[in-house]
Amino acid sequence: MNQWAFVAAAYALALLATATVIVLSWRAMREAEGQAEDRPRP
Amino acid sequence: MHRFANPARFLKIARPLTGWLFWPGLSLILAGCFCGLFVTPADYLQGETVRILYIHVPAAWLGMAGWSGIAVAALMQLVWRHPLASIAGRALAAPGALFTAICLATGSIWGRPTWGTWWEWDGRMTSMLVLLFLYLGYIALANASARQGQGGVSAVTAIFGLVGAINIPIINRSVVWWNSLHQGPSITLRGSSIDGSLLWPLGLTFLGFSLLFGAIVLMRMRTLLARNKIEARMQRLARG
Amino acid sequence: MKAKHQRLILALAALAALIGAGLLAASALKDEAAYFYAPADVKAKGVEPGKAIRLGGMVVKGSLRRAADGVTIHFDVTDGKARVPAIFSGIAPDLFREGSGVVAEGAFDTKGTFVATNLLAKHDERYMPRELEGMQYDEKTHQMKAGQ
Repeated sequence: MNQWAFVAAAYALALLATATVIVLSWRAMREAEGQAEDRPRP
Repeated sequence: MHRFANPARFLKIARPLTGWLFWPGLSLILAGCFCGLFVTPADYLQGETVRILYIHVPAAWLGMAGWSGIAVAALMQLVWRHPLASIAGRALAAPGALFTAICLATGSIWGRPTWGTWWEWDGRMTSMLVLLFLYLGYIALANASARQGQGGVSAVTAIFGLVGAINIPIINRSVVWWNSLHQGPSITLRGSSIDGSLLWPLGLTFLGFSLLFGAIVLMRMRTLLARNKIEARMQRLARG
Repeated sequence: MKAKHQRLILALAALAALIGAGLLAASALKDEAAYFYAPADVKAKGVEPGKAIRLGGMVVKGSLRRAADGVTIHFDVTDGKARVPAIFSGIAPDLFREGSGVVAEGAFDTKGTFVATNLLAKHDERYMPRELEGMQYDEKTHQMKAGQ
């Protein structure tokens, strides 16, 4: 069995999952903070 | 402790701190992964798969640290009624669940070539899976019992967070109390049975993932606080 | 007494009760939740032949023999206190070797030999590069030193 395949799978999975959560958290934060800073529409 | 109860004061620190945690965290993770993949030697027995350790161990630590944080936040919410505690508890759940899942997945990927199995119901693996389910339960409960205009978690959710903390010492001791397939602790207060030449990138990824975890929690806290503000304004407008 | 203190005492009492209950449950589970039997457990408690269990321990150095058919292997499992003979037909994992940990699934036959249907290699907590193979981790000095 190729050991590197397991290593690559583990790293890819972990880094992809982490990146996804970061991007989602970041986008949610930007959106919410943007709306919160907006002047209330008359 | 109540000095940071004021969201405005908290945000004044949290805004710059998010970046200060994120960028060094990301750099350390990338450096640690590079060194762990290409610089350190292979293990005498496991071969190359030992490299999975550099993400598995930080993920396990953060999965457990996340719930410890939820328990502390729950205590502060229930006892001192600290207004930011319930927000912090809710913000901790998603990254905690993420790293618990990463820990389980990488452990499984390591277990196949090392043990010869993807999954076994031994004490360590079972208690870690229980932790993932606790996170999912906490998230579901927090979403179901969230009240309008309150970004944090309800008292019931906080109690659930406190009760679930009993699993943390069980995970930690599972390999000592029970005969388990998972090996015993390599790094203890008395020293490390991982050779130094294999160990050092773990320090980089450990610190890196911890900083990144902090950045994610801050982002999610800021999101919840901003949503609170929007909600409050909507209510003002509706009344006005 | 202030309400805050009341809540604190209540929370701490609940926490203490919980931890107590958890520890109690864990210690009660101590035997049930054991993932495998060690040879000493087998000797002490006795496992009836045919009962499906897992047997875990170290493969005794020098005990590994391959039978004439080429697929069946004989080996002894020890935990330092007792020793149990075992037999397995099939493909053993890469990390299965003498002096290394093993968890075997199977059952005892009437003669006291453990007939394994599946073998898992149990890795221990020592990690080191290939150059250090044959070295042993010293519990007292926390250094690697030449082994037996």
